[in-house]
Amino acid sequence: MSPKTEVWQGTLALMVLKTLSAMGPQHGYGLARRIEQTSEDALSINEGTLYPLLLKLEQEGAIESEWGVSDNNRRARFYRITRAGLKQLNAEMSQWAQVNEIVDRFIALKGEKA
Amino acid sequence: MRALRRMWHRLLGIAGLHRSERDLNEEFASHIQMLAEDLIRRGVPDEEAWRRARVKFGNVPSTMEQYRDQRSVPFIDATLQDLRYAWRLMRRNRGFSTVAIVSLAIGIGANTAIFSVVNAVVLQPLPYRDPGQLFAVREVRTDKDTAVFPVNPAHARAWAAECRSLADVAILSNSRAQIGAGNEAAAIARGARVTHNFFSMLGAEPMLGRTFRAEEEEPGLDRVVILSESLWRARFNADRSLLGRMVLIDGVDHQVIGVVAGSFWTAFGGGVSSSPANNQYQMFRPLVIPIDQRTRLMGNYNYAALTRLKPGVTPEAALAELNVVQSRFPAMTGAGGELGALLIPLQDIVTGRSLALWMLAAAVGAVLLIVCVNLANLLLSRVAARARETAVRSALGASRGRIFAHAFSESMLLSGFGGACGLLLASVIVEMLTSTPTVQLPRLHEVRIDASVMVFALLATLATTVIFGVLPAWRLAGQLPGDALRSSGRAVTDGRQGARLREMLIGVEVGLSTALLIVAVLLSISLNRLLNVDKGFDTEQVFTFDVDTAGPQYEDAEGRSRFFDRLLARLDAIPGIQAVGFTTQLPLEGNSWNDAIYRDASSERHSVENRYASPGFFDAMGVKVLKGRAFDDTDRARGVAVLSPKAASLLWPDDQDPVGREFMGEDDKPKLLVGIVADTRAVLQDISAPHAYYPYWQRPPGDVAMVIRSRADADALVAPVRNALHGEDPTLPIAPIEPAQGLVDGSVAQRRLQSRLVVLFAVSALLVASVGIYGVVAYAVTRRRNELSIRLALGASRAALMASIVRQGMTPVLAGVAAGIALGLLLGRTIRALLFGVHATDGQTMALVSLLLVSVGLAACLIPARRATIGTTLDVLRSE
Repeated sequence: MSPKTEVWQGTLALMVLKTLSAMGPQHGYGLARRIEQTSEDALSINEGTLYPLLLKLEQEGAIESEWGVSDNNRRARFYRITRAGLKQLNAEMSQWAQVNEIVDRFIALKGEKA
Repeated sequence: MRALRRMWHRLLGIAGLHRSERDLNEEFASHIQMLAEDLIRRGVPDEEAWRRARVKFGNVPSTMEQYRDQRSVPFIDATLQDLRYAWRLMRRNRGFSTVAIVSLAIGIGANTAIFSVVNAVVLQPLPYRDPGQLFAVREVRTDKDTAVFPVNPAHARAWAAECRSLADVAILSNSRAQIGAGNEAAAIARGARVTHNFFSMLGAEPMLGRTFRAEEEEPGLDRVVILSESLWRARFNADRSLLGRMVLIDGVDHQVIGVVAGSFWTAFGGGVSSSPANNQYQMFRPLVIPIDQRTRLMGNYNYAALTRLKPGVTPEAALAELNVVQSRFPAMTGAGGELGALLIPLQDIVTGRSLALWMLAAAVGAVLLIVCVNLANLLLSRVAARARETAVRSALGASRGRIFAHAFSESMLLSGFGGACGLLLASVIVEMLTSTPTVQLPRLHEVRIDASVMVFALLATLATTVIFGVLPAWRLAGQLPGDALRSSGRAVTDGRQGARLREMLIGVEVGLSTALLIVAVLLSISLNRLLNVDKGFDTEQVFTFDVDTAGPQYEDAEGRSRFFDRLLARLDAIPGIQAVGFTTQLPLEGNSWNDAIYRDASSERHSVENRYASPGFFDAMGVKVLKGRAFDDTDRARGVAVLSPKAASLLWPDDQDPVGREFMGEDDKPKLLVGIVADTRAVLQDISAPHAYYPYWQRPPGDVAMVIRSRADADALVAPVRNALHGEDPTLPIAPIEPAQGLVDGSVAQRRLQSRLVVLFAVSALLVASVGIYGVVAYAVTRRRNELSIRLALGASRAALMASIVRQGMTPVLAGVAAGIALGLLLGRTIRALLFGVHATDGQTMALVSLLLVSVGLAACLIPARRATIGTTLDVLRSE
């Protein structure tokens, strides 16, 4: 497996929502760092692509945003998960777990020749 | 749910309610900065840190683009952008935009207005149950000149009894009456007497009370009345307690038993199809057919009949059945001749002028088409001007569709404004039409700007947009960018194909204008011929007013006779009145009272128009006495009559001077023919019907039309006439005194309006077309300036050059005129029924219109041609 895996949009949304729910409001830069850290640098994203995703989530009402001040006193836009977002996260997590479980079963499959 | 929410946010994005670009830029910048600072903290040199930060963030403009597309709906965004651009363009070219919007507004407005009239008057079915099965019946003499009559009530009863294809037959007759109470000034209401089945046959339930019962058709039991909703509201303030109460009609108490909603129009109140009397009834009373008429099969064609065919029965089958019954009557009465019937759909009767309406609709549609074609032409010539700009856009990657949309959006905006203004204009026109008293169309009060009219206006706007916008936009999108960029911008042309296209459009404009002008000229000639037709009477210095007697004192015929004797004496004594007389029916007010005259009991009956008149009538109306004399007071002791030449020749075909002979009159009593008077027209456009005049004392009428010949004007007559009337009976209503010219004006009012409108449309079409020709020729000349000046320098004569320009400009004009004449011939045939005294293929008209269009076209070509050849060669070459 290549160390820097491409992330597709569906899972990126789950990661963003989970990060926001676990670590509280974040600005875009912070989000990118947390995702990088959580994946232990296994994931690399073009950080700009976060923003269209954030807009989509915001349009769906899963997150909201407002301008605030960052740790090192910079103006930054902070994103916060909403109740609708939490619901969406839970739904997506259980869905993901289900998919995972199914895929695992296939992986665990012992072929006759294996 | 989520998708919906997102769409909503996107729409908000279009409206600009979301984060601005600057806001986003700031966010991106701060992200990159934080990335860079992080790297610097870890010891990466400044420049390298910034570079890596930017790489890690990714392509800012493309992210931005992605963000933008997601923020709103790209298609709508682009359209809005195009519209904004078109709006700026429009404001920059104020002159062109104004011309375009105004011409579109006029075109769409006039079309919408005419449509709203056509829609209400013709397209909407009559407000009765299953109106397609309703027909008016007329009787027809089939043996000779197929004269069409109103209906004999005994015949109508026979149809109802014997024809199994008819569900029902209702009989009616017009009856004007005064409605009011006591000494209070009475109003005259147009009413009808109808058989009891009239309302149930139409399927028109009363909104209050009940309809008539069969027994109410008997004399003495008929003192009941049903009011129309309009009269009930206007005169009785919509008083519900009126039901069951008494109102005075013609001075006699009648019980109000019902109110009917809606309107009841007729064009058949005793008259034949061309009768102008298309009345809206305001009240109804039961029809009482006098006992002696109930079995009388001879003459007496004085009623109207309506019938409803049984479901599934065709009019042809019903007519065949009617004709079988009809064919018996002549033999039964021994009158000879052949009798048939005619079924006319009720819808056609009520909206009998729909041909004229369709013609107006077509004319106004043609004007809109010409406006569109002209705008397309103007936009096409701007295609060339905008070619470079478009080429640049397309070189920068704009797709053809995008360029098309871009160019089309300007047309969309123009026609949008035009359509909105047009709708406003339409509502003004409709308001004007419905409040103009000379416009007498049935159901006109139903005309309004409703949903279907709005939809029409919208469709008209869309259609105009497509017609005038697609072609130029397509041309613009279709050109190759290389061509436009290569030409230095000075002599940008749209090529041979573009010129062809524009010439074709000119041809269309000229063709339509020619056809419209032909129709306009034909209609104007018709109107003129009609006004100058020999009517058989004078209108100059002649005034008329109605005298309607009502009340118990007039029940007795002798009493009425003496009343008119005294009234005539009083009027005659008024100074300034040269002659006075009356008749039961004025000329030009339609055929009405038809009855038979004959030589003796065994000879053929001839149906003629009956009039009861006073001796002074002929003098007052200017009806010439051709032979013998008019009747006078010396004739009181014996039966006398006066005939028109046509009536006399029916009785005595071979006798040139029958004065002094005797015949049987309308009342089956012998009459001495004392004179022959000129034929008068009962309907202006129809040849005169045969007339018989009897002195009023032989059958004293209740309602008459008084005729006065006087040097004074109408205003000066009012006071003395009122004094005379009220001196005789103070309760008599005073009708307005009208100049007799009003009879003529009234009968040509519709035609006058029609021909004026068509002339107006045609002239505007001609103007628009001439502007179009001018535009195209002027543009061609500009394009050929180089060539022309070089040829001039090489020694070509100015005249030859001008000739070549004019030849080029006139080719589409001449083709258009030829096509237009063909179209005009076709249209002329279609509107034959609207023409009078002029043939649809009138050569003079064709020649006149062609000449007019060719000279207008020539003028439009010559102006730019002259200008092109006047400048010196040097000027042109220097400007290169």
